[in-house]
Amino acid sequence: MLQKDKEGPISEAEVKLVVNGELYGIRVQSNWTLQYVLHNKLGLTGTKEFCNEGACGACAVIMDGRPILSCMALAIECDGQTIETIEGITGAKHPLIEAYVNHSCMQCGYCTPGFIVTAKALLDKNPSPTEDEVKEALVGNLCRCGTYPQHVKAVMEVASNLQGG
Amino acid sequence: MSNDEIKKIQELFDNARNDKYPLGEYRSVGKRGVRRIDGYEKATGYAKYTMDVKLPGMLYMRFLTCPYPHAEIKSMDTSKAEALPGVRAVLRYDDPELPPGANLGGHEIADAPILPRVAHFQGEEVGAAVAADSEEIAEEALKLIEVEWKERPFNLDPEEAIKPGAPLTNPEAFPNGNIGNLDMVNVEEHGDVEKGFAEADKIIEFKFKQGYNTWAGPECPCGVFRWNGEYPEVWVKQQRPHISKRAIASWFGGVPMNRIQIHCLYQGASFGGWSQMGWNLGGHYCAAVVAKRTGRPVKWMFNRREDFYGGEMDTGVYYFKVGFKLDGTITAVKGRSVVVNQAMPVFGFVKHFAENTKIHNIYGKTDAVWVNKGPTTATRCEQNSNCYCLNEVFSRVASELGLDPVELALKHDGAEGHDLAWLDEQKVKLGFQARDSLKECLEKGKKAIGWDEKRHQPGAKRLPNGKLHGLGFVWTHEWDDSGGTSEIAIRLERNDGTATILGCRSDIGVNAETAYCQVAADELGMRIEDVHYKAQVDATFFAMTPDTSTNMSVNGYAARNAARLLKQQILEVATSPVVTQLGSAQPAFPGKKPEDLDIKDSVVYEKANPSNRKTLAELAKMAGAQGPASTSPGEPFRTGQPYLNYPYARPLFAHSWQVQMGTYADARLRFCRQAHFMEVEVDDETGEVEVKKVVTVNDVGRVINWEGCEGQQYGGAFMGIGRGRSEEIVHDPHTGVMLNGNLLNYKIPTMLDIDSVDTFLVETGMGYGPYGLVGIGEDIATVTPTLIGLAVQNAIGKWVDYSPVTPDKVLKALGRA
Repeated sequence: MLQKDKEGPISEAEVKLVVNGELYGIRVQSNWTLQYVLHNKLGLTGTKEFCNEGACGACAVIMDGRPILSCMALAIECDGQTIETIEGITGAKHPLIEAYVNHSCMQCGYCTPGFIVTAKALLDKNPSPTEDEVKEALVGNLCRCGTYPQHVKAVMEVASNLQGG
Repeated sequence: MSNDEIKKIQELFDNARNDKYPLGEYRSVGKRGVRRIDGYEKATGYAKYTMDVKLPGMLYMRFLTCPYPHAEIKSMDTSKAEALPGVRAVLRYDDPELPPGANLGGHEIADAPILPRVAHFQGEEVGAAVAADSEEIAEEALKLIEVEWKERPFNLDPEEAIKPGAPLTNPEAFPNGNIGNLDMVNVEEHGDVEKGFAEADKIIEFKFKQGYNTWAGPECPCGVFRWNGEYPEVWVKQQRPHISKRAIASWFGGVPMNRIQIHCLYQGASFGGWSQMGWNLGGHYCAAVVAKRTGRPVKWMFNRREDFYGGEMDTGVYYFKVGFKLDGTITAVKGRSVVVNQAMPVFGFVKHFAENTKIHNIYGKTDAVWVNKGPTTATRCEQNSNCYCLNEVFSRVASELGLDPVELALKHDGAEGHDLAWLDEQKVKLGFQARDSLKECLEKGKKAIGWDEKRHQPGAKRLPNGKLHGLGFVWTHEWDDSGGTSEIAIRLERNDGTATILGCRSDIGVNAETAYCQVAADELGMRIEDVHYKAQVDATFFAMTPDTSTNMSVNGYAARNAARLLKQQILEVATSPVVTQLGSAQPAFPGKKPEDLDIKDSVVYEKANPSNRKTLAELAKMAGAQGPASTSPGEPFRTGQPYLNYPYARPLFAHSWQVQMGTYADARLRFCRQAHFMEVEVDDETGEVEVKKVVTVNDVGRVINWEGCEGQQYGGAFMGIGRGRSEEIVHDPHTGVMLNGNLLNYKIPTMLDIDSVDTFLVETGMGYGPYGLVGIGEDIATVTPTLIGLAVQNAIGKWVDYSPVTPDKVLKALGRA
């Protein structure tokens, strides 16, 4: 499937991605990360680049049910995958969004979508986490503004509502 | 605007005194649960940052960086880069479009070189910039540039750099030595320190170092420049967009201010930092030149590593000599510091002793030395060294005498060499209640940390888990800049009578825009949900750095002034005849005067007869009077029919401003205090420090937005422990190359780095801003880094004389490394 580009040394391939329920066929170069494709090619700018080396979680997306760091995944290797981004979570009106607003979990807001994506993946798997489990799930997400304690409150509130409802 | 109202506003400029216009009832100010205006946008990823901007035909520009700490370009061949497909322009240092220097819009007053030939630190952007169809192509092209470098000798250590015979760090700017010029020395002196030492029972001397830490904001420096015909349209990631605009106006022979379009979108944090320094704003100038040459928009960007070049201005070495009596009274403080690469005039480090204590005899001298590392600047913020020095000195004196450092703080609280009783007199003279801010903070903080129960002598408590237990305490005053100028406008919308605040945006996340809405809502008598801040895409309504050292204490006044004027207008309109297309009509409240009415919950009502009421929507009326407002769609337009006799209130719009000196310029003493506590556990085998609890207490005068203030306390605690415990940029001593310019090896705190943070807000009403408020954003992250070393000393009984307190330094203090 990989093709050598006649003009230069970079190989390209057509990949199919199901992003937030929509099918995309897109020609990608072999060095493009999934983050780059989502943010720069599909215009899903909620998937942010912060550290660009798998250290911060700002680019988190859910791929086949697991939170992954899209800056560490090559788009060319994601052919056929199902991906959920913050835009998909927003579209589905997930209660995490409102809880994050109510608990003022953001300051500059740049890293916030990555936290919500990671928290959503946690709640999908474990709808009633303990505080320690929430912290453990989110420990890979860096927030330079230091909003951390507010995230735990928001996620725990959503978890308890999910249980209640 | 009535003359009375103008007079009232002018009185407000003299706001050294207690606020003359407290609100009778605070309905949204200081209430919990006010929805963040930017919350949904940011949570959902809809919020746009400069890094997200993508324009049709846009080129991506990257810069050549120097591999050596000090080197000049002898020759440079860019032909291979220019030949790479997809490269649209290569800008060279010797291109005729580049002047030798330009105003780049940072803090610096002098012009800065734009794309220099000589690099003074490893990683500096020099020599060439490449604009290409994609970032990857630009990167690829940079590798094809062949440079012949001439390496020069370099300095990394400030104390070595001032020794005779040291090489020159920057002979271009500072040919006479590594202490650049007179601006690079600061001396502060009060009383007579020698006399103070003579009065002392005991004298101690010590030295400590502050490592080189940095801002590490999540969005890398970037910008977009486009020429719309003759005039620029610019996207800036900049805390001071109006300063960028002023700088751009001076380029290319001058561009009128009214022809420049600036967009300042949300910013992925900033903390002062790089957006204040001319050297890394040169990207805008280069982008402007290339955009002109190619006729295409150009986005310039730094990568993550490039964001790491530059740091906080307290980086350096500090020496202290302190004299005190056996009862703890400090008689003299003498300090000397050597700090590094300050890109703005040098700031003193003994200011808090003078502003905050009754100590008479104080002397401090700072030399700012240039070494071959990135420049340093105020990074949340320039008071860092002052906080560090105040608390290091107090803690060491307390420890020497076995005294409680909390008691020692209370004993010295005051200002300008006078005690608290004198300070209280000054509060009363200015119309304030003489509240003991420090004591109020301490009561809350001590209780929350369990100070009295858990406190012990240094090194005296080993826990059942084998670790050493320690408690730390720091205090100081608030230091909100509170000086500056601001303008804000508010208009009442037609149709639904909602209010729109118009002002510029430079959002970095402190929730300022919501706070302006709260002030306006309460002043106007409107529901908070009926007031919205509509950020202007241009920096036209000049607000004083809405998100940096001065925010609410200046902009809060501007918002309030505008709201007060608008309310007056509303009440005038409610009681005046109304214009229609066919003549005039009865006032909404016939026979009433403005003073007979008030507004509450967005409804205008008669004070003596509250059932006589009209909503603001009913008052503001419908827009577009041509439109047959009561005609159903499809019906013919019938000129002159009675329904055109539709009352049309005059536009309800108020524009106001605030200009003030502020406490930073010594307009008055500072009355508010803050205190913070920390509990740690130290593993004396590994040197690891675990932060169990942080308690932060801030007297903010009056809380406007609770969640915003608490957010600053949480965030400040986390950023503070990062700086105090793990964050330091390390350079290889042999090559001068930065070793950890990435987030794997430069460790900012994670969620698990503090077990719990307790926050308390005290409201004494003694601040400089409206309703007696002061700012909080810079405080906590700047005071808490000191806590780590003090808590660790309480745990292990030894001083760690180098911040950040990393495990190797703890082991060294214990004599184990």
